[in-house]
Amino acid sequence: MSIKPLVLENVSFRYRDRQGAAIHNITFSAEPGELLLLAGASGCGKTTLIRAINGLIPRSYKGELSGKILVHGQETTGLPLARISQMVGTVLQDPERQILGTKVINEVAFGLENMGLPRTEIIRRAEEALAYLKILHLRDRETFHLSGGEKQKVALAGVLAMKPSILLLDEPLASLDPASAQEALEMIRRLADEGLTILMVEHRVEDVLRIHPNRIMYMSEGEIRYSGDAQGLADAVDFREVKLPARQIARRAAHEPAPERITLLPGMQDSAGMPLVRFENVSFGYESEREVLHGINLEINKGDVIAVLGPNGAGKTTFVKHAIGLLKPKAGRVLVNGKDTRQASVAEIAGTLGYVFQSPSHMLFAPTVREELAFGPKNLKHPPAQIEQDVKRALEIVNLRERENDPPLSLSFGQQKRVSIAAILAMRSKILVMDEPTAGQDYRNYMNFMDAILQMPGFEAVLFITHDVDLAVIYANRVILVSDGTVRADGRPQDVLRDYELLHACRVVPTSLLDLNLELLPKTGQFLRAEALGTVL
Amino acid sequence: MLVAWRYRPRKSLVQWFDPRAWVIFYVCFLFSTLAFWDLRFLLPFLAIALLWLFTSGLTWREVRRPFLFIGAFVFFFAFLTFLTGRGGMEVYETEHLIRRFEAPFTLLGWRPVLEVTVERAFFAVSQFVRVFSIAVMTILIPYSLNPALYGVTFKGLGLPDKIAYAMDLTMRFIPTFARDFQLTMDAQRARGYELEKISGGLIEQVRKLGPLIVPVTIHAIIGSEDIIDAMDLRAFGVAPRTWLEELHYQRRDYVLIALGVLILVVSVGLGLSGLGNFWVPEALIRWATGG
Repeated sequence: MSIKPLVLENVSFRYRDRQGAAIHNITFSAEPGELLLLAGASGCGKTTLIRAINGLIPRSYKGELSGKILVHGQETTGLPLARISQMVGTVLQDPERQILGTKVINEVAFGLENMGLPRTEIIRRAEEALAYLKILHLRDRETFHLSGGEKQKVALAGVLAMKPSILLLDEPLASLDPASAQEALEMIRRLADEGLTILMVEHRVEDVLRIHPNRIMYMSEGEIRYSGDAQGLADAVDFREVKLPARQIARRAAHEPAPERITLLPGMQDSAGMPLVRFENVSFGYESEREVLHGINLEINKGDVIAVLGPNGAGKTTFVKHAIGLLKPKAGRVLVNGKDTRQASVAEIAGTLGYVFQSPSHMLFAPTVREELAFGPKNLKHPPAQIEQDVKRALEIVNLRERENDPPLSLSFGQQKRVSIAAILAMRSKILVMDEPTAGQDYRNYMNFMDAILQMPGFEAVLFITHDVDLAVIYANRVILVSDGTVRADGRPQDVLRDYELLHACRVVPTSLLDLNLELLPKTGQFLRAEALGTVL
Repeated sequence: MLVAWRYRPRKSLVQWFDPRAWVIFYVCFLFSTLAFWDLRFLLPFLAIALLWLFTSGLTWREVRRPFLFIGAFVFFFAFLTFLTGRGGMEVYETEHLIRRFEAPFTLLGWRPVLEVTVERAFFAVSQFVRVFSIAVMTILIPYSLNPALYGVTFKGLGLPDKIAYAMDLTMRFIPTFARDFQLTMDAQRARGYELEKISGGLIEQVRKLGPLIVPVTIHAIIGSEDIIDAMDLRAFGVAPRTWLEELHYQRRDYVLIALGVLILVVSVGLGLSGLGNFWVPEALIRWATGG
C-alpha cells in the first residue's frame, strides 16, 4: 500500500491562553492530487487546523496538541519547521502578510535561498515557478506595486518553488477581485491535477465548487461535521451558513417560510432634494505619479444604496476617500451637503458621512468594545445619553452585545471588522460608506449585519465597495462600475449587471445568483436574494 | 507588508559604487565629522556631503519633504542651543557678549534673558553644519541603496546571515511604520478625531494620543509576528543561506573605501593631537569687545 501524503489521526489542539479546544479529534487523510475544500463559519477552527499541519502549531502558537499528523508517513511532531516547510507549502490568507522580498524574483527565491541551494539552481527554480503561474513578466517588478491578484500569485510562486507535495491555502480568494479569484481557482485545479495534494480553506464555497474539489469538508465548533462530495454538502449543511449555488439555496428555501422582505433605508424612499454628495469633474493622482481618478462626475442622493464594483487597483478606495475629504481632488471638486471638502475638516465631514475603513486593525485602540464605539460620537460631541443608546444599538446590529466589555484587540478578525463597522454606526452619520465590509466575514454573519444596517433608520444613503457581486445583487438599488479610475457604468443593478461584456471588462464575474435573477427578472421585476427566489422557481 | 523606500536606479555618483563600499565610506564620514567642532574643518565635510547630494540625480521635488523636515529639525536644535547657551559649555569656557536682551515681563518672578555672545552664535553655526552634513549623507541612503540589496550588503560587510536579514527588515520597517501611521491617522480622523485640538496637561495629551499610538504599535507587533511566521514557513535559518544577489567590488570601490579610511585616520589623528576643537574667529571677538 502506498503511503498517503497527509494523514491526521485524532488531532486536537487548545491554545495556551484560551479555554476549550480550538479543534478536536480531527481525523482524515488525503491522496496525491486530491483537492480538498474546507468550509465553515469564522472561528470554526479552520485556520487552527492549517497551522497544525504546517507546524506553526505548536512551534509559533503554543498550546496543547494531541493526536498524530503524518506527512508522507513521517510524524511531524519531532521535525523542525524548516523541514516540514519543504514538504508542506502554505499560502496565507493575505499575501500582504506573507511577501518579504522587495522584488518578485527575491520573493520567489526566498525559501530556496534559505535552503542554501546553489545560485543557478535557485534562479532556475524560481523562474520555473513564475513561468508555471504565467507571471514571468513580473520577475523584476517591485512586490509593493503589484495588484492584489498578482501578489497572490507571487506568494504562491514562492511556495511552489520549494516543490512541496502538499499545499495549504488559507482563504486564498479573500482579497481578490472576482476575475482574479477565478484565475487563482483555475490555477489551483491545475496544480491538483498535476499531483499536488491541496487543502483549501475558503468561505466562497460557491466559487470553489466550480473547480470541482474532490472532497468537501465542513467544520463547525472545531470538528469535521461533513466530509464528502458537493451534492451531499448541500443536504448536510445549513444554507444560511455556507454560501451554496443560488439554485440550490432557492430549492431548499422553497420548502421553508419565505424570508422577510427588508425595507432598505426606511423612511428614505423619496430621492428629492439636494444631492448629499456631489463629485464634479474630480481627478486625482498621488504626488507626481500617474493619475488614479479621471474626471469623475456623480451624485449620491437620498435613498441610494450604492455598490461600487471594479477590479483591484481601479481607484475605488481613492474615490471614497474623496467623499470624506481625506483626499482632496487635484482638479474638480467634491461637495458634501453642498460644502466643498477643501473648506471642511475631515472631522466636520465625519458628522455627515461615516466611513468604515477596510482594515479594522488600523483603528482599534480602546480598552473595551463599548469605549471603542463611544470614541467617534464623543469626538462629535453627541450628548452622553444619546451615545449610550447609539452604542447599544450598534452592538446589537453587529451581534457583539456579549463582548462589549472585552478589549477589541483580543477579538477575532471577523469580530474586529464588526466592531469597526459598529464604531461608525454609533456616530449616526447620515451617509454610511463601507470599504469591503464583508471581507473575512462568514456568510451568515455578513448577511445578518448587512440586513440590519440597511434597515436601520437614520441613514439617508449607504455606499459600499465590494468584490462580492451578490452583495450588489441583493442589497444595492444602484451599481457603479469602476475601472481604471473612471466610472464605466452607473445605474440600477438590473440594468448595469445584465451587460456581461462590460462586467467582464471590469473584471467582474457573474455569479449563479445573478444568472438566476436575470433569468427570473421577467417574473420578479427586481433582483431578490436566493431564498426569496425559491417560490418563483 | 513591508513598504520599500523610494529608491530608483539613477545614473549617479553614489550608485556608481558598490553599496558596501558606500556604506563603509558613510561610516568613516560619520565618525570623522564627529571628531570636529571647528567650522574650518567641518566645512570640507559639508562640501563632501553636498557633492554626493548634487551628483545623486535626485530632484528637489523628491527630497523636499525629508530635507524640510530634517533641516527644520536640525535648525531648531541649533537655535535652541543658541537661545539657552547650553550644549556649547563643554567646548568653550569664556564668552564674549555681543548684546544682552531682557524680556519686558517676568514669569513667576523669573525674567527671561537672552545673551548673544560670539561663542554661542558660532557654536550654533558649527553645530548646524556638523549635523546637517551627516543628515545630507543619511537622507541619501534610502534613495540610493537598492532595497533588494540591503541584506546582501550587510552580509557582505561581514554580518552573519540572520543579522544581515534582520537589518534588511529593519531598514524597510521605517517606511512601513510611516505608512501605518498615516492609515491610522486617516481612520481616526474619519471618526472625528482631531490631533490639532488636543489640549490639557502633558499626561492628558499623551493619553489623547492613544487612538494613534495603540493601533500603530499593535500593528507593528502583529506585522512582525506575520513576518516571523512567513520566514519560518519558508525554511529561514536552517542552513547557511545562499544570497541570490551578488556584489562584486570594482577598483573604484577600493578607492572609495581607501579614501574613507584615510579621512577617518586623518580626522582621528587631528582630533587626538588637539586640532579641530571649537574655534571662533579672532576678528569676531575683537569686534564684540570693541577692540
